[in-house]
Amino acid sequence: MSAEEQKNLKTNDSDQQESGISRRYFLAGTACLSAAAAVSLSPLLNAEEVPSGDDFIQKHYKELTTEDKKEIFARLEAQIKEKYDVDATISDPPPIDGVEFAYVLNLGRCIGCRKCVYACMDENNQSRSPQKQYIRVLKMKKGTINLESASHDYPEKEAESDDFFYMPVACQQCREPKCIEVCPVKATWQEKDGIVVVDYNWCIGCRYCEAACPYHARRFNFAKPQIPAQDINPDMGYLSNRPRYMGVMEKCTFCLHKTRRGEYPACMEVCPTGSRKFGNLRDPKSEVRIIIEQERVFVLKQEVGTLPKFYYTFAK
Amino acid sequence: MGNKEKKTFFAEGEFWKKVLLPGAVILILIFLFMGDSKPNIPDPVPLKQKWYKPETARGEILKNTVMPGNCFICHSLQVPDPNVIRPQFAHGTIKLDHGANNRCYNCHHIYDRDNLAGDGETKISFATPEKLCARCHGIIVKDWMEGTHGLRQGGWLVKDGQSPVNYTCTQCHDPHSPKFKYGIAAPAPTWPDKTIRKDRHSDDDPTSAYLTDSNQERF
Repeated sequence: MSAEEQKNLKTNDSDQQESGISRRYFLAGTACLSAAAAVSLSPLLNAEEVPSGDDFIQKHYKELTTEDKKEIFARLEAQIKEKYDVDATISDPPPIDGVEFAYVLNLGRCIGCRKCVYACMDENNQSRSPQKQYIRVLKMKKGTINLESASHDYPEKEAESDDFFYMPVACQQCREPKCIEVCPVKATWQEKDGIVVVDYNWCIGCRYCEAACPYHARRFNFAKPQIPAQDINPDMGYLSNRPRYMGVMEKCTFCLHKTRRGEYPACMEVCPTGSRKFGNLRDPKSEVRIIIEQERVFVLKQEVGTLPKFYYTFAK
Repeated sequence: MGNKEKKTFFAEGEFWKKVLLPGAVILILIFLFMGDSKPNIPDPVPLKQKWYKPETARGEILKNTVMPGNCFICHSLQVPDPNVIRPQFAHGTIKLDHGANNRCYNCHHIYDRDNLAGDGETKISFATPEKLCARCHGIIVKDWMEGTHGLRQGGWLVKDGQSPVNYTCTQCHDPHSPKFKYGIAAPAPTWPDKTIRKDRHSDDDPTSAYLTDSNQERF
Protein backbone atom coordinates (compact mmCIF):
# COMPACT_ATOMS: atom_id res chain seq x y z
CA MET A 1 0.00 0.00 0.00
CA SER A 2 1.43 3.30 -1.06
CA ALA A 3 1.66 6.32 1.19
CA GLU A 4 -0.95 8.10 -0.90
CA GLU A 5 -3.42 5.29 -0.48
CA GLN A 6 -2.92 5.30 3.26
CA LYS A 7 -3.61 9.02 3.34
CA ASN A 8 -6.76 8.46 1.35
CA LEU A 9 -7.94 5.85 3.79
CA LYS A 10 -7.45 8.09 6.76
CA THR A 11 -9.18 11.07 5.31
CA ASN A 12 -12.05 9.03 3.91
CA ASP A 13 -14.87 9.17 6.44
CA SER A 14 -16.98 6.46 4.97
CA ASP A 15 -14.30 3.83 5.01
CA GLN A 16 -13.94 2.75 8.63
CA GLN A 17 -13.29 -0.91 8.54
CA GLU A 18 -9.57 -0.41 8.70
CA SER A 19 -9.13 2.81 10.66
CA GLY A 20 -11.18 1.36 13.62
CA ILE A 21 -13.00 4.41 14.90
CA SER A 22 -13.97 7.48 13.04
CA ARG A 23 -13.38 11.01 14.13
CA ARG A 24 -17.10 11.60 14.40
CA TYR A 25 -17.71 8.69 16.72
CA PHE A 26 -14.59 9.40 18.69
CA LEU A 27 -15.77 12.94 19.33
CA ALA A 28 -19.28 11.80 20.10
CA GLY A 29 -18.02 9.20 22.55
CA THR A 30 -15.68 11.67 24.23
CA ALA A 31 -18.47 14.20 24.54
CA CYS A 32 -20.76 11.57 26.01
CA LEU A 33 -18.16 10.43 28.51
CA SER A 34 -17.18 13.92 29.58
CA ALA A 35 -20.83 14.88 29.96
CA ALA A 36 -21.41 11.78 32.03
CA ALA A 37 -18.34 12.51 34.14
CA ALA A 38 -19.39 16.12 34.65
CA VAL A 39 -22.91 15.14 35.62
CA SER A 40 -21.77 12.38 37.90
CA LEU A 41 -19.05 14.40 39.60
CA SER A 42 -21.17 17.52 39.99
CA PRO A 43 -22.24 16.57 43.55
CA LEU A 44 -18.60 17.07 44.51
CA LEU A 45 -19.06 20.79 43.88
CA ASN A 46 -21.33 21.00 46.89
CA ALA A 47 -19.74 18.12 48.80
CA GLU A 48 -19.85 18.54 52.54
CA GLU A 49 -16.15 18.16 53.12
CA VAL A 50 -13.33 18.03 50.62
CA PRO A 51 -9.83 17.72 52.07
CA SER A 52 -7.31 20.29 50.95
CA GLY A 53 -4.11 19.19 49.25
CA ASP A 54 -2.12 19.65 52.44
CA ASP A 55 -4.68 17.64 54.36
CA PHE A 56 -4.37 14.93 51.78
CA ILE A 57 -0.59 14.51 51.88
CA GLN A 58 -0.28 14.89 55.66
CA LYS A 59 1.77 12.14 57.28
CA HIS A 60 0.88 9.95 60.24
CA TYR A 61 1.00 11.75 63.59
CA LYS A 62 3.95 9.73 64.82
CA GLU A 63 6.04 10.67 61.78
CA LEU A 64 5.51 14.40 62.21
CA THR A 65 8.38 16.60 63.32
CA THR A 66 7.86 19.62 65.53
CA GLU A 67 7.95 21.93 62.51
CA ASP A 68 5.44 19.78 60.67
CA LYS A 69 3.11 19.96 63.65
CA LYS A 70 3.46 23.74 63.85
CA GLU A 71 2.51 24.04 60.18
CA ILE A 72 -0.38 21.62 60.48
CA PHE A 73 -1.78 23.29 63.59
CA ALA A 74 -1.61 26.70 61.91
CA ARG A 75 -3.42 25.29 58.89
CA LEU A 76 -6.12 23.68 61.04
CA GLU A 77 -6.55 26.89 63.03
CA ALA A 78 -7.01 28.81 59.78
CA GLN A 79 -9.61 26.28 58.65
CA ILE A 80 -11.48 26.63 61.93
CA LYS A 81 -11.31 30.42 61.67
CA GLU A 82 -12.75 30.25 58.19
CA LYS A 83 -15.48 27.83 59.10
CA TYR A 84 -16.62 29.06 62.52
CA ASP A 85 -14.96 32.50 62.82
CA VAL A 86 -13.39 31.42 66.11
CA ASP A 87 -9.77 32.05 67.11
CA ALA A 88 -8.89 28.57 68.26
CA THR A 89 -5.53 27.43 69.53
CA ILE A 90 -4.56 23.86 68.80
CA SER A 91 -2.06 22.44 71.24
CA ASP A 92 -0.48 19.05 71.60
CA PRO A 93 0.72 18.55 75.16
CA PRO A 94 2.96 15.46 75.40
CA PRO A 95 2.39 12.72 77.97
CA ILE A 96 3.95 13.47 81.34
CA ASP A 97 6.60 11.00 82.51
CA GLY A 98 5.59 8.83 85.45
CA VAL A 99 1.91 9.54 84.99
CA GLU A 100 -0.73 6.95 84.25
CA PHE A 101 -4.28 8.25 84.33
CA ALA A 102 -7.07 6.37 86.01
CA TYR A 103 -10.67 7.08 86.79
CA VAL A 104 -12.82 5.93 89.69
CA LEU A 105 -16.57 6.31 89.70
CA ASN A 106 -18.60 5.83 92.85
CA LEU A 107 -21.89 4.29 91.76
CA GLY A 108 -23.26 4.66 95.26
CA ARG A 109 -23.36 8.41 94.75
CA CYS A 110 -24.16 8.88 91.06
CA ILE A 111 -27.70 10.23 90.63
CA GLY A 112 -27.83 9.93 86.85
CA CYS A 113 -28.31 13.66 86.20
CA ARG A 114 -26.27 13.43 82.93
CA LYS A 115 -24.41 16.69 83.55
CA CYS A 116 -21.15 14.87 82.76
CA VAL A 117 -22.56 13.95 79.35
CA TYR A 118 -23.24 17.53 78.37
CA ALA A 119 -20.09 18.92 79.96
CA CYS A 120 -18.21 16.44 77.79
CA MET A 121 -20.09 17.59 74.70
CA ASP A 122 -19.30 21.20 75.55
CA GLU A 123 -15.63 20.60 76.24
CA ASN A 124 -14.90 18.25 73.38
CA ASN A 125 -16.67 20.09 70.53
CA GLN A 126 -18.87 17.13 69.86
CA SER A 127 -21.39 17.29 67.08
CA ARG A 128 -24.71 18.75 68.22
CA SER A 129 -26.54 17.54 65.14
CA PRO A 130 -26.46 14.62 64.67
CA GLN A 131 -25.83 14.26 68.36
CA LYS A 132 -22.61 12.62 69.54
CA GLN A 133 -22.02 11.78 73.18
CA TYR A 134 -19.11 9.84 74.62
CA ILE A 135 -20.78 9.01 77.93
CA ARG A 136 -23.81 6.80 78.20
CA VAL A 137 -25.52 6.71 81.59
CA LEU A 138 -27.06 3.29 82.14
CA LYS A 139 -29.99 3.08 84.50
CA MET A 140 -30.16 -0.23 86.29
CA LYS A 141 -32.35 -1.72 88.93
CA LYS A 142 -30.75 -1.94 92.34
CA GLY A 143 -29.55 -5.39 93.31
CA THR A 144 -27.99 -6.50 90.06
CA ILE A 145 -25.67 -5.24 87.38
CA ASN A 146 -27.56 -6.35 84.33
CA LEU A 147 -26.34 -4.43 81.34
CA GLU A 148 -28.87 -6.11 79.12
CA SER A 149 -31.84 -4.67 80.93
CA ALA A 150 -30.15 -1.30 81.45
CA SER A 151 -31.66 1.76 79.87
CA HIS A 152 -29.52 4.59 78.58
CA ASP A 153 -32.22 6.86 77.24
CA TYR A 154 -34.38 7.19 80.32
CA PRO A 155 -36.14 10.59 80.48
CA GLU A 156 -34.68 13.19 82.80
CA LYS A 157 -37.51 12.90 85.31
CA GLU A 158 -36.36 9.34 86.06
CA ALA A 159 -33.01 10.53 87.35
CA GLU A 160 -32.25 10.58 91.06
CA SER A 161 -34.51 7.62 91.79
CA ASP A 162 -34.06 5.49 94.90
CA ASP A 163 -34.97 2.26 93.12
CA PHE A 164 -32.22 2.45 90.54
CA PHE A 165 -28.56 3.11 90.26
CA TYR A 166 -26.87 4.86 87.41
CA MET A 167 -23.70 3.74 85.71
CA PRO A 168 -22.01 6.19 83.35
CA VAL A 169 -19.98 4.32 80.73
CA ALA A 170 -17.43 5.96 78.47
CA CYS A 171 -14.08 4.82 77.09
CA GLN A 172 -12.44 2.63 79.71
CA GLN A 173 -8.90 3.41 78.49
CA CYS A 174 -7.98 -0.27 78.62
CA ARG A 175 -4.46 -1.50 79.20
CA GLU A 176 -5.11 -4.11 76.49
CA PRO A 177 -7.22 -2.09 74.05
CA LYS A 178 -8.87 -4.29 71.47
CA CYS A 179 -9.73 -1.29 69.33
CA ILE A 180 -6.12 -0.49 68.43
CA GLU A 181 -5.34 -4.08 67.51
CA VAL A 182 -7.91 -4.15 64.73
CA CYS A 183 -7.08 -0.79 63.14
CA PRO A 184 -5.76 -1.56 59.64
CA VAL A 185 -3.97 1.79 59.26
CA LYS A 186 -2.70 2.34 62.83
CA ALA A 187 -4.76 5.50 63.13
CA THR A 188 -5.49 4.77 66.78
CA TRP A 189 -2.92 3.91 69.40
CA GLN A 190 -2.14 4.05 73.11
CA GLU A 191 -0.06 6.90 74.44
CA LYS A 192 2.53 6.58 77.17
CA ASP A 193 0.15 7.75 79.88
CA GLY A 194 -2.37 5.10 78.89
CA ILE A 195 -4.78 7.24 76.87
CA VAL A 196 -6.01 5.72 73.63
CA VAL A 197 -6.15 8.40 70.94
CA VAL A 198 -7.21 8.73 67.31
CA ASP A 199 -5.51 10.72 64.55
CA TYR A 200 -8.59 12.12 62.82
CA ASN A 201 -6.58 12.93 59.70
CA TRP A 202 -5.33 9.37 59.35
CA CYS A 203 -8.52 7.46 60.15
CA ILE A 204 -10.13 5.88 57.09
CA GLY A 205 -13.47 5.28 58.78
CA CYS A 206 -13.64 1.50 58.50
CA ARG A 207 -15.28 1.22 61.95
CA TYR A 208 -13.40 -1.97 62.88
CA CYS A 209 -12.48 -0.38 66.23
CA GLU A 210 -16.11 0.42 66.96
CA ALA A 211 -16.98 -3.24 66.44
CA ALA A 212 -14.04 -4.41 68.54
CA CYS A 213 -14.81 -2.28 71.59
CA PRO A 214 -16.76 -4.26 74.21
CA TYR A 215 -18.03 -1.04 75.82
CA HIS A 216 -19.39 0.77 72.77
CA ALA A 217 -17.15 3.69 73.62
CA ARG A 218 -16.34 4.81 70.11
CA ARG A 219 -18.49 7.08 67.99
CA PHE A 220 -18.50 7.34 64.23
CA ASN A 221 -19.30 10.50 62.28
CA PHE A 222 -21.74 9.25 59.70
CA ALA A 223 -22.70 12.80 58.84
CA LYS A 224 -20.79 16.02 58.92
CA PRO A 225 -20.49 17.15 62.56
CA GLN A 226 -22.39 20.37 63.13
CA ILE A 227 -21.66 22.73 66.01
CA PRO A 228 -23.05 26.25 66.46
CA ALA A 229 -20.17 28.74 66.30
CA GLN A 230 -20.90 30.17 69.75
CA ASP A 231 -20.60 26.70 71.26
CA ILE A 232 -17.07 26.04 69.96
CA ASN A 233 -14.50 25.50 72.67
CA PRO A 234 -11.41 27.36 71.37
CA ASP A 235 -8.98 25.47 73.61
CA MET A 236 -8.27 22.49 71.38
CA GLY A 237 -5.93 19.55 71.38
CA TYR A 238 -4.79 17.93 68.16
CA LEU A 239 -5.49 14.42 69.45
CA SER A 240 -8.56 15.27 71.48
CA ASN A 241 -11.19 17.93 70.93
CA ARG A 242 -10.47 19.69 67.65
CA PRO A 243 -13.46 19.52 65.29
CA ARG A 244 -13.76 16.15 63.63
CA TYR A 245 -14.42 15.35 59.99
CA MET A 246 -17.19 13.38 58.44
CA GLY A 247 -16.30 9.69 58.22
CA VAL A 248 -13.84 9.45 61.10
CA MET A 249 -13.99 7.73 64.45
CA GLU A 250 -13.83 9.62 67.72
CA LYS A 251 -13.72 8.68 71.39
CA CYS A 252 -13.14 9.91 74.93
CA THR A 253 -9.54 10.94 75.53
CA PHE A 254 -9.82 11.81 79.25
CA CYS A 255 -9.73 15.45 77.98
CA LEU A 256 -5.99 15.08 77.39
CA HIS A 257 -5.59 18.74 76.41
CA LYS A 258 -6.64 19.53 80.00
CA THR A 259 -5.38 16.58 81.99
CA ARG A 260 -1.87 16.68 80.56
CA ARG A 261 -1.63 20.23 81.84
CA GLY A 262 -2.57 19.03 85.32
CA GLU A 263 -6.26 19.88 85.21
CA TYR A 264 -9.23 17.63 85.77
CA PRO A 265 -11.36 16.33 82.90
CA ALA A 266 -14.59 18.19 82.21
CA CYS A 267 -16.92 15.41 83.33
CA MET A 268 -15.26 15.28 86.73
CA GLU A 269 -15.38 18.98 87.41
CA VAL A 270 -19.06 19.24 86.65
CA CYS A 271 -20.28 16.27 88.69
CA PRO A 272 -22.43 17.76 91.48
CA THR A 273 -22.19 14.64 93.63
CA GLY A 274 -18.44 14.20 93.55
CA SER A 275 -18.83 10.58 92.50
CA ARG A 276 -16.17 10.94 89.83
CA LYS A 277 -12.52 10.86 90.85
CA PHE A 278 -9.58 11.26 88.50
CA GLY A 279 -5.86 11.13 89.10
CA ASN A 280 -2.46 9.64 88.58
CA LEU A 281 -2.43 5.92 89.27
CA ARG A 282 1.30 5.91 90.03
CA ASP A 283 1.07 8.61 92.70
CA PRO A 284 0.40 6.83 96.04
CA LYS A 285 -1.27 9.94 97.44
CA SER A 286 -3.68 10.53 94.58
CA GLU A 287 -7.41 10.22 95.16
CA VAL A 288 -7.84 7.31 92.77
CA ARG A 289 -5.04 5.36 94.39
CA ILE A 290 -6.49 5.87 97.88
CA ILE A 291 -9.92 4.71 96.76
CA ILE A 292 -8.55 1.68 94.90
CA GLU A 293 -6.57 0.69 97.99
CA GLN A 294 -9.34 1.27 100.49
CA GLU A 295 -12.56 0.39 98.69
CA ARG A 296 -13.78 -2.61 96.77
CA VAL A 297 -13.52 -1.59 93.15
CA PHE A 298 -14.46 -3.48 90.03
CA VAL A 299 -14.07 -3.02 86.32
CA LEU A 300 -16.75 -3.41 83.68
CA LYS A 301 -16.75 -6.71 81.75
CA GLN A 302 -13.69 -8.05 83.50
CA GLU A 303 -14.07 -11.36 81.68
CA VAL A 304 -13.14 -9.90 78.29
CA GLY A 305 -9.61 -9.21 79.47
CA THR A 306 -9.23 -5.60 78.44
CA LEU A 307 -7.87 -4.51 81.86
CA PRO A 308 -9.60 -1.11 82.00
CA LYS A 309 -8.24 1.84 83.93
CA PHE A 310 -11.75 2.98 84.69
CA TYR A 311 -12.85 1.58 88.03
CA TYR A 312 -16.31 1.45 89.57
CA THR A 313 -17.08 1.20 93.24
CA PHE A 314 -20.12 1.21 95.50
CA ALA A 315 -18.50 3.17 98.31
CA LYS A 316 -20.54 5.22 100.76
CA MET B 1 -24.25 3.95 -0.10
CA GLY B 2 -27.05 3.24 2.38
CA ASN B 3 -25.82 -0.27 2.78
CA LYS B 4 -22.41 1.08 3.70
CA GLU B 5 -23.74 3.46 6.36
CA LYS B 6 -25.77 0.72 7.92
CA LYS B 7 -22.66 -1.32 8.06
CA THR B 8 -20.77 1.36 9.97
CA PHE B 9 -23.48 1.64 12.60
CA PHE B 10 -24.08 -2.00 13.19
CA ALA B 11 -20.85 -3.71 12.36
CA GLU B 12 -20.06 -6.71 14.51
CA GLY B 13 -19.06 -5.51 17.97
CA GLU B 14 -19.32 -1.89 17.00
CA PHE B 15 -22.81 -1.49 18.41
CA TRP B 16 -21.63 -2.46 21.88
CA LYS B 17 -18.65 -0.22 21.70
CA LYS B 18 -20.43 2.88 20.53
CA VAL B 19 -23.94 2.87 21.90
CA LEU B 20 -24.46 0.47 24.76
CA LEU B 21 -21.17 0.93 26.55
CA PRO B 22 -21.26 4.74 26.91
CA GLY B 23 -24.93 4.53 27.73
CA ALA B 24 -24.32 1.99 30.46
CA VAL B 25 -21.47 4.04 31.85
CA ILE B 26 -23.63 7.14 31.98
CA LEU B 27 -26.47 5.28 33.66
CA ILE B 28 -24.20 3.66 36.24
CA LEU B 29 -22.50 6.92 37.12
CA ILE B 30 -25.81 8.72 37.41
CA PHE B 31 -27.19 6.04 39.69
CA LEU B 32 -24.03 6.04 41.78
CA PHE B 33 -23.69 9.74 42.34
CA MET B 34 -27.04 11.36 41.80
CA GLY B 35 -28.86 9.54 44.58
CA ASP B 36 -30.36 11.36 47.52
CA SER B 37 -27.06 11.88 49.30
CA LYS B 38 -28.21 14.49 51.82
CA PRO B 39 -29.69 12.86 54.91
CA ASN B 40 -32.32 14.78 56.76
CA ILE B 41 -30.33 16.31 59.64
CA PRO B 42 -31.79 19.09 61.77
CA ASP B 43 -29.82 22.27 62.40
CA PRO B 44 -27.56 22.25 65.45
CA VAL B 45 -28.93 23.82 68.60
CA PRO B 46 -26.62 25.25 71.29
CA LEU B 47 -26.51 23.41 74.60
CA LYS B 48 -28.28 24.91 77.57
CA GLN B 49 -25.91 26.18 80.21
CA LYS B 50 -27.69 24.48 83.07
CA TRP B 51 -26.86 21.12 81.49
CA TYR B 52 -23.12 21.53 81.78
CA LYS B 53 -22.19 24.43 84.06
CA PRO B 54 -20.27 23.29 87.14
CA GLU B 55 -22.13 24.14 90.32
CA THR B 56 -22.46 22.62 93.72
CA ALA B 57 -25.53 20.69 94.63
CA ARG B 58 -26.84 23.27 97.05
CA GLY B 59 -28.23 26.10 95.02
CA GLU B 60 -30.17 27.42 97.99
CA ILE B 61 -27.03 28.00 100.03
CA LEU B 62 -27.53 31.74 99.86
CA LYS B 63 -30.96 31.42 101.44
CA ASN B 64 -29.54 30.20 104.71
CA THR B 65 -26.23 31.99 104.94
CA VAL B 66 -27.58 35.46 105.56
CA MET B 67 -30.50 36.18 107.84
CA PRO B 68 -31.77 39.74 107.51
CA GLY B 69 -31.58 41.95 110.57
CA ASN B 70 -29.72 41.70 113.80
CA CYS B 71 -29.85 38.34 115.56
CA PHE B 72 -29.85 39.90 118.98
CA ILE B 73 -33.10 41.81 118.47
CA CYS B 74 -34.89 38.55 119.08
CA HIS B 75 -32.33 36.47 120.86
CA SER B 76 -31.65 39.00 123.62
CA LEU B 77 -35.31 38.86 124.63
CA GLN B 78 -35.45 35.10 124.90
CA VAL B 79 -33.61 32.89 127.27
CA PRO B 80 -32.13 30.16 125.04
CA ASP B 81 -33.69 26.78 125.57
CA PRO B 82 -31.21 23.95 124.85
CA ASN B 83 -34.04 21.55 124.08
CA VAL B 84 -35.71 23.60 121.39
CA ILE B 85 -36.54 21.33 118.46
CA ARG B 86 -38.56 23.16 115.86
CA PRO B 87 -37.06 26.27 114.27
CA GLN B 88 -39.30 29.11 115.33
CA PHE B 89 -40.37 32.62 114.33
CA ALA B 90 -37.92 34.01 111.79
CA HIS B 91 -36.49 30.57 111.10
CA GLY B 92 -39.81 29.03 110.16
CA THR B 93 -38.69 28.22 106.64
CA ILE B 94 -36.00 25.88 107.91
CA LYS B 95 -37.02 22.25 107.99
CA LEU B 96 -34.89 20.31 110.42
CA ASP B 97 -34.37 16.76 109.12
CA HIS B 98 -31.00 15.66 110.39
CA GLY B 99 -31.83 12.29 111.89
CA ALA B 100 -31.35 11.99 115.63
CA ASN B 101 -29.59 15.34 115.69
CA ASN B 102 -32.73 17.39 116.26
CA ARG B 103 -31.68 20.17 118.64
CA CYS B 104 -30.80 23.61 117.30
CA TYR B 105 -28.08 24.12 119.86
CA ASN B 106 -26.35 20.83 119.09
CA CYS B 107 -24.71 22.67 116.23
CA HIS B 108 -25.40 26.37 116.77
CA HIS B 109 -23.62 28.03 119.65
CA ILE B 110 -26.16 28.72 122.33
CA TYR B 111 -24.94 32.21 123.22
CA ASP B 112 -23.05 33.34 120.12
CA ARG B 113 -25.13 33.58 116.94
CA ASP B 114 -22.11 34.12 114.70
CA ASN B 115 -20.47 30.84 115.53
CA LEU B 116 -21.15 27.14 115.68
CA ALA B 117 -20.83 24.98 118.75
CA GLY B 118 -17.56 23.19 119.37
CA ASP B 119 -16.64 20.93 122.26
CA GLY B 120 -17.58 22.46 125.59
CA GLU B 121 -17.63 26.23 125.38
CA THR B 122 -15.45 26.45 122.25
CA LYS B 123 -16.70 28.01 119.06
CA ILE B 124 -16.40 26.96 115.43
CA SER B 125 -16.49 29.58 112.69
CA PHE B 126 -19.08 29.37 109.91
CA ALA B 127 -16.15 29.39 107.48
CA THR B 128 -15.00 25.94 108.64
CA PRO B 129 -18.15 23.87 109.00
CA GLU B 130 -16.19 20.66 108.45
CA LYS B 131 -14.84 20.91 111.98
CA LEU B 132 -18.38 20.79 113.30
CA CYS B 133 -19.37 17.92 111.00
CA ALA B 134 -16.25 16.00 111.99
CA ARG B 135 -17.57 15.73 115.54
CA CYS B 136 -20.01 13.09 114.26
CA HIS B 137 -18.96 12.22 110.71
CA GLY B 138 -15.23 11.79 111.27
CA ILE B 139 -14.65 9.09 108.65
CA ILE B 140 -16.36 11.05 105.92
CA VAL B 141 -14.44 14.19 106.82
CA LYS B 142 -11.20 12.21 106.69
CA ASP B 143 -12.20 10.99 103.20
CA TRP B 144 -13.00 14.57 102.28
CA MET B 145 -9.59 15.76 103.42
CA GLU B 146 -7.94 13.07 101.31
CA GLY B 147 -10.05 14.15 98.36
CA THR B 148 -12.00 10.93 97.99
CA HIS B 149 -15.30 12.41 99.19
CA GLY B 150 -16.95 15.41 97.69
CA LEU B 151 -16.50 17.61 94.72
CA ARG B 152 -13.06 18.87 93.92
CA GLN B 153 -12.11 21.15 91.06
CA GLY B 154 -8.89 22.67 89.80
CA GLY B 155 -6.41 19.96 88.99
CA TRP B 156 -5.01 16.58 89.91
CA LEU B 157 -1.49 17.97 89.64
CA VAL B 158 -1.04 20.57 92.34
CA LYS B 159 1.42 23.12 91.05
CA ASP B 160 3.29 25.69 93.10
CA GLY B 161 1.02 28.47 94.28
CA GLN B 162 -2.09 26.56 93.25
CA SER B 163 -4.50 24.62 95.33
CA PRO B 164 -7.44 22.50 94.30
CA VAL B 165 -10.88 23.97 94.85
CA ASN B 166 -12.29 21.81 97.59
CA TYR B 167 -15.92 22.43 98.42
CA THR B 168 -16.85 22.31 102.08
CA CYS B 169 -19.66 20.22 103.54
CA THR B 170 -22.36 22.89 103.54
CA GLN B 171 -21.73 23.92 99.96
CA CYS B 172 -23.28 20.64 98.84
CA HIS B 173 -25.34 19.43 101.80
CA ASP B 174 -28.00 21.48 103.50
CA PRO B 175 -26.98 21.12 107.18
CA HIS B 176 -30.59 21.18 108.30
CA SER B 177 -31.57 18.43 105.87
CA PRO B 178 -28.33 16.82 104.76
CA LYS B 179 -29.64 14.06 102.53
CA PHE B 180 -28.30 14.81 99.09
CA LYS B 181 -30.81 16.52 96.81
CA TYR B 182 -30.06 17.95 93.43
CA GLY B 183 -33.02 18.08 91.09
CA ILE B 184 -31.35 19.37 87.92
CA ALA B 185 -31.14 16.69 85.26
CA ALA B 186 -30.20 16.91 81.62
CA PRO B 187 -32.33 15.35 78.87
CA ALA B 188 -31.95 11.95 77.28
CA PRO B 189 -29.74 11.58 74.22
CA THR B 190 -31.27 12.05 70.78
CA TRP B 191 -28.86 9.97 68.78
CA PRO B 192 -30.03 8.92 65.34
CA ASP B 193 -31.48 5.42 65.44
CA LYS B 194 -28.98 4.08 63.00
CA THR B 195 -25.92 4.95 65.07
CA ILE B 196 -27.01 3.47 68.37
CA ARG B 197 -29.70 1.25 69.76
CA LYS B 198 -32.72 2.87 71.35
CA ASP B 199 -34.19 1.29 74.41
CA ARG B 200 -37.67 2.69 74.21
CA HIS B 201 -39.05 2.52 70.75
CA SER B 202 -42.48 3.05 72.16
CA ASP B 203 -44.12 2.51 75.49
CA ASP B 204 -46.26 -0.35 74.29
CA ASP B 205 -43.46 -2.20 72.52
CA PRO B 206 -43.41 -5.59 74.31
CA THR B 207 -39.66 -6.15 73.80
CA SER B 208 -38.86 -2.75 75.15
CA ALA B 209 -41.19 -3.21 78.07
CA TYR B 210 -39.60 -6.56 78.85
CA LEU B 211 -36.10 -5.15 78.78
CA THR B 212 -36.78 -2.09 80.85
CA ASP B 213 -39.48 -3.30 83.20
CA SER B 214 -38.29 -2.51 86.67
CA ASN B 215 -40.42 -5.14 88.37
CA GLN B 216 -38.86 -8.11 86.63
CA GLU B 217 -36.09 -10.08 88.22
CA ARG B 218 -33.80 -11.07 85.39
CA PHE B 219 -30.44 -12.71 85.85
